[in-house]
Amino acid sequence: MLNRWKEIAWYGMRFKIPAEWQLSQIGVRYLSIEDELGPVMEIKWAPVKGQFSHSTHLKRLSALQKRQLRKSVKPEPVSSDWAEALSDFNASEFSWQSHSTRGRGALLYCPNCRNATLIQFFQKRSNPSQAFTVDILASIRDHRSDGQILWAAYDIRALMPETYQLESYRFEAGQYELDFTEGSQHVVLYRWSMASVLLDKQELVQFAKTVARFGKAEPVAGTIDGHDMVEWSTSPVADWQRQLSRFKGKASYCWMGLWHLEAKNRILGVKAEGKKPLDTAVLDHICTHYEIV
Amino acid sequence: MKLFKKKSKGPSISRAEALDRIPDKNVQISEERLDSGEVVIHYPVTMRPLFAGLVKRFGGPGVQIQTKKLQLDALGTSVWALIDGKCSVRQLINSFATTHQLEPREAEVAVTQFLRELGRRGLIGMR
Repeated sequence: MLNRWKEIAWYGMRFKIPAEWQLSQIGVRYLSIEDELGPVMEIKWAPVKGQFSHSTHLKRLSALQKRQLRKSVKPEPVSSDWAEALSDFNASEFSWQSHSTRGRGALLYCPNCRNATLIQFFQKRSNPSQAFTVDILASIRDHRSDGQILWAAYDIRALMPETYQLESYRFEAGQYELDFTEGSQHVVLYRWSMASVLLDKQELVQFAKTVARFGKAEPVAGTIDGHDMVEWSTSPVADWQRQLSRFKGKASYCWMGLWHLEAKNRILGVKAEGKKPLDTAVLDHICTHYEIV
Repeated sequence: MKLFKKKSKGPSISRAEALDRIPDKNVQISEERLDSGEVVIHYPVTMRPLFAGLVKRFGGPGVQIQTKKLQLDALGTSVWALIDGKCSVRQLINSFATTHQLEPREAEVAVTQFLRELGRRGLIGMR
């Protein structure tokens, strides 16, 4: 049963979807998911200030739709199977219908973290999504209590301290990049696929040199948990350099580590840059919890 | 008569239909395998009528067919080898994803971009 589901985690939101479903669109607090036939599910969420009213938000939501669709949006009593799955939230249900698709969704409000979520499932004639909705809803979590945020999309999974905000992301065939910031410090998570092709004519050290260069610092090869890895770093050595680095626009403290997961045919990398000394304990924690699923 | 009538986009097909299409190689091309295992495709290109007219006006042979080369990298070669006129785009994607341990979506983007480029150059057609 477990391997038929995969975990998605993005901007603090976590849930499980059937393994054959795919992320089709990723935005800031927004995810769209599709199966072979097209979109099956959409979820968006945001923190709420002040009181949360289900009816107001549903009206606001329907006002954004085209006229014909707007008329079809109607609140529904929360069905018993959904109510049980959403017992951690204040939930309301709604449905809508267009000429080709029907939709059923829920507005959720978490009183603990004051986060509002809209989730909806698209129902086409041959679409089996209905069978999964209860399990998906039951898996929704919108906050953690350990000060960490889980990020899991496609095949990467990372656990970052909640103080690190995602500034930009890139999911391209062959290369993924997640850039987090905390103050003036940047931590970038990299993932390259088809490592066998990338490392066909070069060693990991040579590949590392094409990724980032920190002055005269050269990547040094080693191993970590049985995987080939390289790391290199630079930082001001003398006292006067440290003083001078405060006035520089560029980061003075840089570190990067890359490791090759041969069995998964992937290369993972973490780069950290900042104007202040890097916290090695935090970097160790990030690297340890950055993995391929 | 409408002077600025909007051009119709033509029939559009769904993603599922597009993935069920079968790519086939152009019969006019020839391929050469290098020692490195990579493939070089030789394909004919007809000179554009405007340039052909200019060449003819200056005493040239008129409409000419040139042969161009396209060298594929290791990944391109592996997808090219899968195109046999029988496998659908979906099967190519699945095969490519399995070989390179890729996420289905990632393999789909890589393979369809490559097929689009081959189609643009006239090296393959879709059935």
